[in-house]
Amino acid sequence: MVLAKLAPHLLSWAGIVLAMGRGFSGRRSVVAAGAIVGFPLGVAGACLLSRAYPGDFSFAIIRDIVGGSFLLLWGGAVAAIYSSTVREFPRSWGERLANSPFCAGAVALSSGMIAGAISACRLVGTYNTLPPFLLLALAASILALAALAVERALAASFPVSHSGLMASVVALLLFSASSIIRLDLFSPLTMKLMKFSHDFVHQFFESMLIPDHLFIRTYLWGYIGLLFGNGVGFWGALILWFTPAVLVALAIQWERLPSVAHIRQGAQRRRLLATGIRARRFRLVIPVLAMVVLAAAVYRSRFPSVEYWDPKPLPISASPSGDIFIPKKGDVDLEDGKLHKYLFKQGGREARFFVLMTPAGKLTVDLDACAICKPDGYGQAEGTVICYYCKTLIPLETVGQPGGCNPIPLPFTEKEDGVHIDGLTLLNMWGTNAQSTARVKGGGK
Amino acid sequence: MSTTIIETGGLTRNYGDICALKPLDLKVPEGEWLSVMGHSGSGKSTLLNLLGGLDRPSNGSLRVGGEDMQGLTEDGLARFRREFVGIIFQQHHLIPYLTAVENVMMAQYFHSVPDEAEARLALERVGLGHRLKNRPSELSGGEQQRVCIARAIINSPKLLLGDEPTGNLDHKSTLMVMELLKELRAEERFTIVMVTHNPEVAAWGDRTIYLDDGILVREERTRS
Amino acid sequence: MSRPLRAIWAVISSRATSPLVIGVFLLIYIVLAFITDDTLIALMEYTRTNVLLVVLLALVPLNSGCRIVKETDRHLKLRRALAGKSANDPSGLFDESVALPVPSSFDGLSGRLAATGYRVRCTGGTLAAWRGVSIYPVRVLFLAGMFCLFAGILVSLTTRTTHRMSVIEGEPLPTATGGGGLVERITLKTGAGPILAKILTMDVAPSDSGDGRKVFGLYPPSLYRGYFVYPRYIAIASIIRFSAPGGQTAYEKQAVMNIYPAGKEDRVEIPGSPYRILFSMIQPEDGSDPYVTGRITYLFKLMNGKEVIFAGSLPVGGEFVRDGYRLAIPEGKRMVITDFIQDYGVLLVWGAAIFFLAAGCIWLPVTIFLPRREMLFVSAPDNIHACSRSEGGGRKHGGVFHEALDFLEAGMADRQPFDGGSAEK
Repeated sequence: MVLAKLAPHLLSWAGIVLAMGRGFSGRRSVVAAGAIVGFPLGVAGACLLSRAYPGDFSFAIIRDIVGGSFLLLWGGAVAAIYSSTVREFPRSWGERLANSPFCAGAVALSSGMIAGAISACRLVGTYNTLPPFLLLALAASILALAALAVERALAASFPVSHSGLMASVVALLLFSASSIIRLDLFSPLTMKLMKFSHDFVHQFFESMLIPDHLFIRTYLWGYIGLLFGNGVGFWGALILWFTPAVLVALAIQWERLPSVAHIRQGAQRRRLLATGIRARRFRLVIPVLAMVVLAAAVYRSRFPSVEYWDPKPLPISASPSGDIFIPKKGDVDLEDGKLHKYLFKQGGREARFFVLMTPAGKLTVDLDACAICKPDGYGQAEGTVICYYCKTLIPLETVGQPGGCNPIPLPFTEKEDGVHIDGLTLLNMWGTNAQSTARVKGGGK
Repeated sequence: MSTTIIETGGLTRNYGDICALKPLDLKVPEGEWLSVMGHSGSGKSTLLNLLGGLDRPSNGSLRVGGEDMQGLTEDGLARFRREFVGIIFQQHHLIPYLTAVENVMMAQYFHSVPDEAEARLALERVGLGHRLKNRPSELSGGEQQRVCIARAIINSPKLLLGDEPTGNLDHKSTLMVMELLKELRAEERFTIVMVTHNPEVAAWGDRTIYLDDGILVREERTRS
Repeated sequence: MSRPLRAIWAVISSRATSPLVIGVFLLIYIVLAFITDDTLIALMEYTRTNVLLVVLLALVPLNSGCRIVKETDRHLKLRRALAGKSANDPSGLFDESVALPVPSSFDGLSGRLAATGYRVRCTGGTLAAWRGVSIYPVRVLFLAGMFCLFAGILVSLTTRTTHRMSVIEGEPLPTATGGGGLVERITLKTGAGPILAKILTMDVAPSDSGDGRKVFGLYPPSLYRGYFVYPRYIAIASIIRFSAPGGQTAYEKQAVMNIYPAGKEDRVEIPGSPYRILFSMIQPEDGSDPYVTGRITYLFKLMNGKEVIFAGSLPVGGEFVRDGYRLAIPEGKRMVITDFIQDYGVLLVWGAAIFFLAAGCIWLPVTIFLPRREMLFVSAPDNIHACSRSEGGGRKHGGVFHEALDFLEAGMADRQPFDGGSAEK
């Protein structure tokens, strides 16, 4: 059961070890040692972190580390493309470093630690005893050795370049992380990009002194409006997501073939060129596979296997003085830690909100909308609420705080028996926030 | 002392009950032009196919260019054919919808990568510099055979096999092709094994062997 | 050049410098994204106030300028080499170079290369062959674009000053230093082009300070005393007279009403009283734009706290009296909320756009149809030095080059191709 849950993580781990074994083919023992030590260290680290900082913080740290590895891949991919296309690019020290045993050990150790931490996150919260974690570490070590044995059996003509190795390891880490909703990077990337696009267009218009929408034709403004939608976030994130692997592939494709001008027999020249081209094609396999893995990570991010708690909004009305009262222990238990949605209608206007008990034991009342996205509302999963529009995860601890894609907090009074909300304030806040975002953004679900 | 490029020991090829080539012992030194004569069904083409890696012996040993042909895998045989052998057939087997230069480039493609400049140069060497862009149907029989020669030598083979290369040519064209092969051999120093019915053509070789019913019955040196 | 200078030059002229700097800013953006939601604005603010980041950003235009110098130098060296005027070894300028240990003449070779579409020049012991158009001008345009773009961003970030002013018809143009010319007329028309739905013009008379007559439009923005005039919003400047029963509350003031387009509400607070008035413009039934026609009728709602006392409509110049309340709007003038912006970085960014556009327009056809290929053969007493380069790869050129080398080495310049043989053994 535990192993079935861990299957995507362990498979990713086996792939990582296999790629590392081939990428550092002269340093297999260093890779094996680094991997076998690194993974349990990562598992232990994640356990300690989650005990020291229960809640989202420990997940955030691990997600940021995975994000850091993605940034490193970006750096590596840009360096690879420059190395292939620019003659005077200084590549000797980089090659020396990449070929050193230190590099092989460091990559194996750090990859193992990250993979171990990600895998452990799958168990944290569900299992509080040691055996599942020990089983994870043991299974990972056995898989690492098996992967290295498989790697030895692979044909020698199937090399992995350093940039290809980087792409495959990071892609597998991202895939592994995407299986855990709180470690997933693609959704936050989508969200950040949507915000960037919005800010950039605004700043660009201001900086270039371009007239505001008042003077621009509606159809044209409609096109500009596309830049504010979640489509831009999604497609832009896809571009950012795949570009490093594509750059690595292009860097390999654009590598210079060996100079053959000194050879005076045509067939020999062509054979040398063909060998170069064939080797280049083999090296392309890994970045292409990395792209497939990245695509799988996107799929898991967009269609996670977790079930959302998505309650139907309960209709609710206000007293003649405009007060909405929701009892703590009525038809629903407000303090059960679940998200409870309500729909308030008055005078042709309506607003949606929810009540939730945070892990800190505080009740919070929020609009079922944020200040940025189209008000598609929120669902609840694995210690977070999720914005259905941009798929951003909001940790339960931060629900009730304003900003970004957090649900907009609503003023309310908590009494012994329940919560009191002012109906007019609710309608006005919905009107000024949610309806404006619905008008501007368009699209969505 | 020149090295041996072809060495057979008891080389046999059976097709079911029919023995097309009976135990044959043959040595061909590097750079030699060997003519193979015999009646139809005497085993000439069988021998050529075995030497070119197009077929596998039933028994006996066959070493070509130091390679034990029986020890080669299918991939090994393909590599051997690609890199070691050039073959000229009686039927030209040119691709009808490709130009002369493209036909030569096709051989480059299967060997490694195409190179038009080199293919053009090869056609110029066989005197077809002015016919580069013509399709086979626009060339005479002799010209087509010269395209075949260019195609056969483009990958610098060590061994050039000819299966009745002049069988379809008139006397003048035959002489032209023979003269060309002689000239190219002098430049490239490849070994030629040529099957022919024609004693005049066989006489261009350094040595002629005669096969009859799969048996080497006679061999004679050509007087230069 | 001394060693430290050489090192500095290597850094500022390296192709890696600009991507690295941009990468650093990207990293800062990512870090800021964890801290604030308004990341881009925060990054701009942070860069503006941090000398180190300003210097770092300045490296990009500097690098672009140095790249232009470096690539021009390389291009000129290449041209000199191809012209046979270079005394130095040209190998470093080419992709491939090889020394053939055979002296030979170039006679046959120039004909062969010319036949394959190369232009050939033979000068003394040098033979140069080339075809296509060099990408060098595109690179210069691109680098100039990069220079302008990042210099523009730098100038904008560090020197931009903005003054938001109300430009009112019939009143002097407000400027930071005062003494602007009279705004004679503000006109709003329906636009005919594909981009602008409305065309706004502000006619300003000559000022006493010596400014000439000016007409400000929407785009591109005009300059006035070194400031770009950037119209932001349309509003109505109205004089409002209000008095409540009892005479304790009397109010007269010119109020800026942000009530365009018709239907949009703005409110005027009556100071020292619980009254406030909500204003909007009535959309005429004929569909005309009241701002364009000047026939403005206000819809108002007088409120005491949250209670609506009464509502009604009032044209410019009209008066409304009820229950002791008196509301009059004797004057309503067209007005444009305008930013006066001093920022010459904008000009540089516009320049960059032109450079990038030009570079793109040239790059695409040149890369597809006329890629540059070059060969150089230099004859020495005992050998031939041959070099080749092709922009954007291209194996076909490599084939021609290798064939030329084969040709030279085989001494085929003096050899005839097969002529059909002697037909004799």
